[in-house]
Amino acid sequence: MPTISIPTALRQYAGGQASVAVQASRIGEALAQLTAQFPELQKHLFDANGKLRSFVNIYVNDEDIRHLQKEETEIKEGDEISIIPSIAGGAGGATVEEAKAQSEALPELNKDELARYDRHLTLPEVGLEGQRKLKAASILLIGAGGLGSPLGLYLAAAGVGRLGLVDFDVVDHSNLQRQILHGTKDVGRKKLDSAKDRLADINPHTQVDTYELALRSENALGIVKEYDIIIDGTDNFQTRYLANDASVLLGKPNVYGSIFRFEGQASVFYPKAGGPCYRCLYPEPPPPGLVPSCAEGGVLGILPGVIGVIQATEAIKLIIGEGELLVGRLLLFDALKMKFRELKLRRNPECPLCGDHPTIKHLIDYDQFCGVTPPPAATEVSDWEITPLQLRQRLDNGERVTIIDVREPHEWQIANLETYGSRLIPLGQFADRIGELDQNDDIVVHCKMGGRSAKAYEVLKKAGFTRIKNLKGGILAWADQIDRTMAKY
Amino acid sequence: MSVRLTTEQIEQIKRHGERTFPEECGGLLLGVTEGGARVIREVLPLENVRQDSRHNRVELDPRDYLRAEREATKRGLGVWGYYHSHPNHPAIPSGFDLDHAPFIGWSYLIFAVRDGKAEEARAWTVREDRSQFDEETMTIVSTTASTQS
Repeated sequence: MPTISIPTALRQYAGGQASVAVQASRIGEALAQLTAQFPELQKHLFDANGKLRSFVNIYVNDEDIRHLQKEETEIKEGDEISIIPSIAGGAGGATVEEAKAQSEALPELNKDELARYDRHLTLPEVGLEGQRKLKAASILLIGAGGLGSPLGLYLAAAGVGRLGLVDFDVVDHSNLQRQILHGTKDVGRKKLDSAKDRLADINPHTQVDTYELALRSENALGIVKEYDIIIDGTDNFQTRYLANDASVLLGKPNVYGSIFRFEGQASVFYPKAGGPCYRCLYPEPPPPGLVPSCAEGGVLGILPGVIGVIQATEAIKLIIGEGELLVGRLLLFDALKMKFRELKLRRNPECPLCGDHPTIKHLIDYDQFCGVTPPPAATEVSDWEITPLQLRQRLDNGERVTIIDVREPHEWQIANLETYGSRLIPLGQFADRIGELDQNDDIVVHCKMGGRSAKAYEVLKKAGFTRIKNLKGGILAWADQIDRTMAKY
Repeated sequence: MSVRLTTEQIEQIKRHGERTFPEECGGLLLGVTEGGARVIREVLPLENVRQDSRHNRVELDPRDYLRAEREATKRGLGVWGYYHSHPNHPAIPSGFDLDHAPFIGWSYLIFAVRDGKAEEARAWTVREDRSQFDEETMTIVSTTASTQS
């Protein structure tokens, strides 16, 4: 009888045997007998359509059946049939030859585009092939702010075919110091409208799709799946974990960047390529309020430029398949020292998302995970809030209200409510100084816009305070609605 | 699963990569499984039969694999993985590596060769659903302490 030799790695599916005897006169028949006897072998040898997998070679004695009569090859007593894997590997993306098959599907470049991308076409690493890959590519930018600005500008200029922008904010004067997608004339406009105009001017060949919403568990997967690469340019932990989880669940690369004051970091989270994810680096978010946002801590306007451009570079490399990616490396930048450092990142085998035994298989509630109260819709006033007008009326009625300002001292210097007895307890010190407050008082907390004071509100609530309100819209709303002489920042 | 090699075997693999630099090299890992570990008893450097892109591609001859299996069987061993070099590239599997990984339950040892000098070596396995590589623990024992068959 002919025998089939089983490669070491597949013997566990063949009852541990190194060779199996069959009664067959053709190869196809012999393989059918083998998988009938050992059904587990089926999926290792054949694909879903019942065709031999591309890396499975069948040899009769020392000859490849592809050079004989394939599955119709006749076999006889004493023949040795061998299942042999194709073993191939290599660094980097598909080579020119391998890409040829794919390239048939890549979009062509017209005359305008050929002229526009001339300096790319001259680079052998990009060339016509790479430029067509860029045109075929799609990138989702979460946030059209500090990081989103250089990202959008350079990725559109580079010829990325489709950019998705997620944002729900309006351009404010305080954005202009770093968010170079928007200009002075755009203040008050939706960031998405402003960004779309600017990007269309930079490169009319780039399609820009906009999503006016906050990325949340309910909508994230549907949006993320439409894109090849995800880039998170927001500065809150809920979105960062959400973008990470959605990317890992869908097997997409997530180009990470973050900025604070004078320092920034960047990496590429791509477990599918063997690297770690954001959760391997930071399994848990910091307690709410501990890490100040850029609105609270400030940021050098140029910093998002540096980090965003690094992220854009990694995205381009991912698309053209050249160079060494920041996979498994965390790049740290210090603008004051003007130094770059690099940390090695390893995938954590215990990671609940990309580890050996993942427990997170769906998106979760990220507000809850990060310990924050979701911001209420802008138009409603919840019972935990008080509007500037309501506060003014209560003060005018002679009610005793303790006003606590949770901003930083330098913000207090610009504008404050000291006239009404307001006291400054910066959010960072809030938990420690809670003893200075009396549970029997009516307390109103406020910050610049209402975000930080919402965190202070939570701290008070947890400590048992009940007579608390958060000033809706913060001191800026007070300046707009009550005291127009007040300085705004 | 984890994989166990000797310092001498690692050296042998690295020297292979340095010899063929700037081209990739590859070979097979012969050994046994023992208590949840693939214990490598012999490293078999093989020829890269790929004609093009040899700086970032390696391919082994199926006939070499067949001979290795036959030889291993005779000596009570099995082929439990393969190694290849990444010249001027980190020891992280590429998308190409994933697309061409033949077996689940095999060790894929990758090592970086930077400017002709072999650097870190890391071992990987393919997840059951073939969606990605996971790094596996690689134990390197000193040659004197190992038992060579």
